[in-house]
This record gives sequence, C-alpha cells and structure tokens, in this order.
Amino acid sequence: MPTRRSLFAVVAIITLVAPAPALAQDKSIVVASTTSTQDSGLFGHILPLFKAKTGIDVKVVAQGTGQALDTGRRGDADVLFVHAKAQEEKFVADGFGVKRYPVMYNDFVLIGPKSDPAGIKGMTDVAEALKAIKSKGAPFISRGDRSGTHIAELDLWKAAGIDIGKEKGPWYKEIGQGMGAALNTASAANAYVLADRGTWLSFKNRGDLDILVAGDKRLFNQYGVMLVNPEKHPHVKKALGQAFIDWLVSPEGQKAIADYKINGQELFFPNANAPGA
Amino acid sequence: MRAPVTDLPIVLDDVSFSAGGVTILEHISLALVAGSPTVLIGPNGAGKTTLLRLVMGLIPPARGRVTWGGREQAASTHRAIVFQRPTMLRRSAAGNVRYALAAAGVPRTRRAASAVELCALVGLTGLERRPARKLSGGEQQRLALARALAKEPQILLLDEPTASLDPAATKAIEDVIRKVAASGIKVVMSTHDLGEAKRLAGEIVLVHRGRVIESGPAETFFSAPKTEEARRFSAGELLV
Repeated sequence: MPTRRSLFAVVAIITLVAPAPALAQDKSIVVASTTSTQDSGLFGHILPLFKAKTGIDVKVVAQGTGQALDTGRRGDADVLFVHAKAQEEKFVADGFGVKRYPVMYNDFVLIGPKSDPAGIKGMTDVAEALKAIKSKGAPFISRGDRSGTHIAELDLWKAAGIDIGKEKGPWYKEIGQGMGAALNTASAANAYVLADRGTWLSFKNRGDLDILVAGDKRLFNQYGVMLVNPEKHPHVKKALGQAFIDWLVSPEGQKAIADYKINGQELFFPNANAPGA
Repeated sequence: MRAPVTDLPIVLDDVSFSAGGVTILEHISLALVAGSPTVLIGPNGAGKTTLLRLVMGLIPPARGRVTWGGREQAASTHRAIVFQRPTMLRRSAAGNVRYALAAAGVPRTRRAASAVELCALVGLTGLERRPARKLSGGEQQRLALARALAKEPQILLLDEPTASLDPAATKAIEDVIRKVAASGIKVVMSTHDLGEAKRLAGEIVLVHRGRVIESGPAETFFSAPKTEEARRFSAGELLV
C-alpha cells in the first residue's frame, strides 16, 4: 500500500512535469482568407497537415479579399492569405503587412448555362465574352463583395471597355456573398458567373452550368500570404504566424497544396519560387 | 461617415424549410436585388407564402442561409409584409395608419399629417374617418399597404395582394404597387394571376412543389421560357 509520503512524491512529480494550464501557450493563429480557399476544400486538406507538424491550430476567417484586408488593418488576424496582388502590395507598403510571399495560383473560369444565350462557349478572349453577355443582357451573378474574385471580375469588365458600375442593368446581380452562394444563385437562375476553378471543381449543385470560357491569361489568379505587422498591432502572434507562412512556401507546404486534388484534378498550383509572382 | 444600412441584396443560399415533417421548400437559391418588382408565381401550395416569410425573416430556414445586405441577423426594420387577408384594427382607417406610424417611431406631432398623406398615397382620401372594418376588401388591402409604408421600408413583401378582389379593386392595388416600386422600394410579391405578373413583374420566379423551377427577367420568362413547367404555366395549364 503506498505511503502518504510516496503519494505526495508522485503528486509533486506529476505537478512538476505536467504544464500548468495557466502557463500553457495558446498555439493558435487567426488567418483571414478568401472563401475560395475554404469552399474549395484546400484548407480542409492542408491545415491538418500543418497542425500535425507544428501543433499550431489555424482558425480561418473566410471572407472576401477586401474584407480580409480590412480585418488585417484592424489587427483582427495574424496572417492574411488572399488573391489580389496589387492590394496586397499596397497593404505592405502602407505598413499593415510585413512582407508578401507568393504561394500558389489557379485560374478563374467563366461559368454559364449550357444553353449559352450569349454564345460565348469556347471563346478564348474573356473580354469579348463579357461584351457578348452584356449585349445580350444575359443574367450574370457578381460576387459584389470586394473579394479577389469580385476585383478580378471588375478588372475584366474594364478590359472589355465596359464601366459595369454605370452600364449594368437588371441582368447583372451583385449578391455580396462568397463563391459558394454565388454559384448556387447562378445555378438556380441559369446565369453566368466568374468563379475560381478550385471552388467550381468542388461545387456539387451545378444544375445546367458548365465552364464556357477558360485559358485567357487575364484569368490567372495568384494567391499571396502576409504576416500582419506586429509594429502596428503588438498582439499579433508573430512567431506562430511566420511559422505558417514559412511552412506554406516550404517544399513540404507546396507539396501539400499540389497534392490536393478533386477527381484526380489539381486545384491549386504552388509557385512560391516563381519570379514576379 | 458610414454607409447607410441596407437589407439588399437579400440572398437565399440553398435554403430549405420543413414544418410538421413536411418539406415545404428545398434547395432555394435566390438573390433579390434593388430594382423592379420580383413576382413569385406558381400554383397554390407551391411554397410562395413560406418563401415570403423566409425573406421577411419571420421564420428561420431549416438548412441554408438567408442574408440581408450581407448580414445573417438583420432586424426587420427595413422590411414590411402585407398578408393576403390583413387584420384591421378596431379604429378608423387613419387610426390604423397612425398606429403603424407610432410603431415605426414617428413622433406623435407628425402622425396625423403622415396618416393623411399615406391614405392619399393609396387612394383612401375621404375615407380616413371610416371604421376600417367597414371598408371594402380592396380598400382594406390599400389600408394595409398604407400601414406597411408607414415604416418607410426598403423592401415591401406582398402575399397575393389582389386575391379575391374585383377588377377595379385589383387595378387600384396594382397602381399603388407601381407607385411604390417607382419610388425605389423593392417590391417582392406573390400571385397566381399570370396577367398580374405580366403587368407588374420585372423579374419572375416560378415556384412549384417547393422548388424554384425557373427565374429571370419577366420578358424572357414569358417570351422564351426555358423549362417545361414554365412553358405550361405560362400557357395557363395546371401544374400538379
């Protein structure tokens, strides 16, 4: 039978060895990212791998890129993972981010009903396709949420010589929602919509929709990652956040991204080392 | 300066609703944006009233999400709904409107004048003092519209506003709806009257057996419907 002394010794040893809960470090970070990284299933694939390696829990706030950048400016996230290079570079230049790292790319595709009232199927010039959609007044669903996809869409209308803010009609609906909701709405309305290929490939409720236009260089979609500047927001978890960034751009992280496939098809293409990305 | 709060667009993302074990609506994805009236059409029992209740925020979806101006929780301050058989308070017509103005937070000193203006807007000038329960069916509908407009809503939802009204009363209601829509208020209404849909709709949403079968600009819906159900419904056939 253990003596009181030996029991006391055991308790003391356990107390010394086990970390006191009050002192245990909170190994988690908040990453503000886009709905495409979430809705496509990419985060569901890579974040468990990152946690298994580092023990760091990543809590994702999935928003449009514009909202994610606002979140970063307020210091409500440790890391941003978005896809609007010009805005990311401005974020860093304005002192809100430490450094921008390219991570991966995919492409946007112009989705629409198989009946294709605008007659754009197979076009290789996305600007001409958008002109056709507008001239037919064919229903078009816009994210309308200042996301990277929304910004890309607005840039494409500009490339088509269309001031969509002034020239839109009832055919153009801005829903202010993420990619999943935009695709659901487009599917229900048999409308055109610009989507990132990753979310499209994992989207199940396709209805009568299909990819109609792809491959134009202007549909290239580059993602970048940045640590929110702890000089602006001292509470930012600098070491943990940088560990996430370092992992993403490492060979292991890049492989994890490349390994994420749906029906054998790769959704995102790692390019952390691509010059100018 | 912050942008004013708006409930638009109203987005239903893969929404389903059941009651008593019965599926009433399923996989509804719809975006209601500013602009011309959106008219829900479809046979009785299709789910149009339930859809309006979801849009108003009176009932939560069983699955999916409804957002108002991007917000999942949005008080109904900017929305108003008029049901098919509105309840009249035991007051005069103007008294009913003053009650609605009070509920909307309008100061007491302004209510009398505002009630008169709203009665005029809906064509009830001269009937302000009549007991509301003694008004005709069409007049009561117009009074219900006036009460709803007391809130200065951004969105006005109308459930079969002209059902069981005679043609003259129907025209009076439709004239009010046109005026309201022209003032910038987003009107979303249900009807099973195809003619009314053609007269009022900028956008049509065909609901049948709890699903949205087809939606789009009214002109396209009636001239070149895409689905068999839309073709048959437009041709006046019964959808069972």
